Amino acid sequence: MAVKFSKHHGGWIIFATFAMAALFTVFPLPQWLESYRPEWVALVVIYWVMALPHRIGLFTAWIAGFFLDVLEGSLLGLNALALALVAYLALSLYQRMRMFTAIQQSSTILILVGIHQLLSFWVLTANNQNTAPNLIFMISALSSAVVWPFIFLGLRYLRRTFHVA
Amino acid sequence: MLGLALLSMIMMLADSRFNYLDQVRFYASYLVTPLHWLADTPRSISDSVNNNLQSRSYLIGENQRLKEQLLTQQYRLQKLEHLEAENDRLNELLNASSIVDERGVLAQVTGESPDPFIKRVLINAGSADGVYIGQPVLDAFGLLGQVVEVEPYSSWVLLITDPQHLTPVQVNRNGNRAIASGTQDSLHRLTLNNISDTFDIVTGDVLVTSGFGGRFPAGYPVGVVSSVVHDPGEPFATVSVEPTAQLDRSRNVLLVFRGDAE
Repeated sequence: MAVKFSKHHGGWIIFATFAMAALFTVFPLPQWLESYRPEWVALVVIYWVMALPHRIGLFTAWIAGFFLDVLEGSLLGLNALALALVAYLALSLYQRMRMFTAIQQSSTILILVGIHQLLSFWVLTANNQNTAPNLIFMISALSSAVVWPFIFLGLRYLRRTFHVA
Repeated sequence: MLGLALLSMIMMLADSRFNYLDQVRFYASYLVTPLHWLADTPRSISDSVNNNLQSRSYLIGENQRLKEQLLTQQYRLQKLEHLEAENDRLNELLNASSIVDERGVLAQVTGESPDPFIKRVLINAGSADGVYIGQPVLDAFGLLGQVVEVEPYSSWVLLITDPQHLTPVQVNRNGNRAIASGTQDSLHRLTLNNISDTFDIVTGDVLVTSGFGGRFPAGYPVGVVSSVVHDPGEPFATVSVEPTAQLDRSRNVLLVFRGDAE
């Protein structure tokens, strides 16, 4: 079996990690914690692009973003666009990111998720839906960078255990 | 990248300006609604555990309290029926159309917007229950908001304190009308727009829906005026209103159906 599917393997693990990330995205949090919620789906997209760039790319990210839009009830295409951009940037950076230390990776994440947040912010502003009073929406870029090492280790463990390739 | 970006932009434009994509969203939400249910399980489990582990004495006390409450409510309801009939008669005398009957259907809040700056909540009733866009939503204390998006088994409710939400209100004391809008800073504050300094409004005034615009039925409590500031340097007075509905605590909400709709 494993030989037969040796090219693409463990697709359900990838799907499960996206589903978990989406679940964490809508999980109810106390009001004061809400702003600190990391962009889980963006982190999972970045990890899989880094690990399997031949397999996970713009299209997967876009589809994940589309379902995230439906899940959040946000403007259809908003997360799709932002995540596709993140995947695009990660695709051009993955060779370097694989060599980075944890701190360097986290700072890259800070910038990638920051770009993700800014893009969402711009689109919402253009659509007159933006109600963020200040730059506090950028905090989730910081919290994403903080949780990244754990996400990275966890997903790498999953990938190695289940031989996702 | 360019193709996908273009596709997303077209989708966003179509979604915000037209409603071509409502069907797409509707069917896609069949796939994602289970995630909302899953996200809500800890809360519903703790709810049911709480329900099952109440002590006997507490339940007896609560039962007693609820019975007393029911009695007083029934007493007031009797009076209300009388007043309603009288009001109808007077309206007939004035040749005004009679007030439409409304009935409520109970739903539960199962989630809220993950974006901390968009004040929306998710309720567990959707098109399968006859929910429609623009439907008013109340809790036990007042107006909560209106339905903005309907999915098969759930729908999104925009709260009245969202900056994008405007509520036509009137002062209960004297019938003066105004528009209450949400604020960016707080979940618990509404402001009244364009209130001239001579407008008769004081702290403590109760605001109810005016029924203007036909979206919200008239007479539901919206909020209580918490401060009125007359600044000579400003063209209008600054009026802050505290909503009566428990916007962040309500678990049970009421969807209002017009009696003549079905």
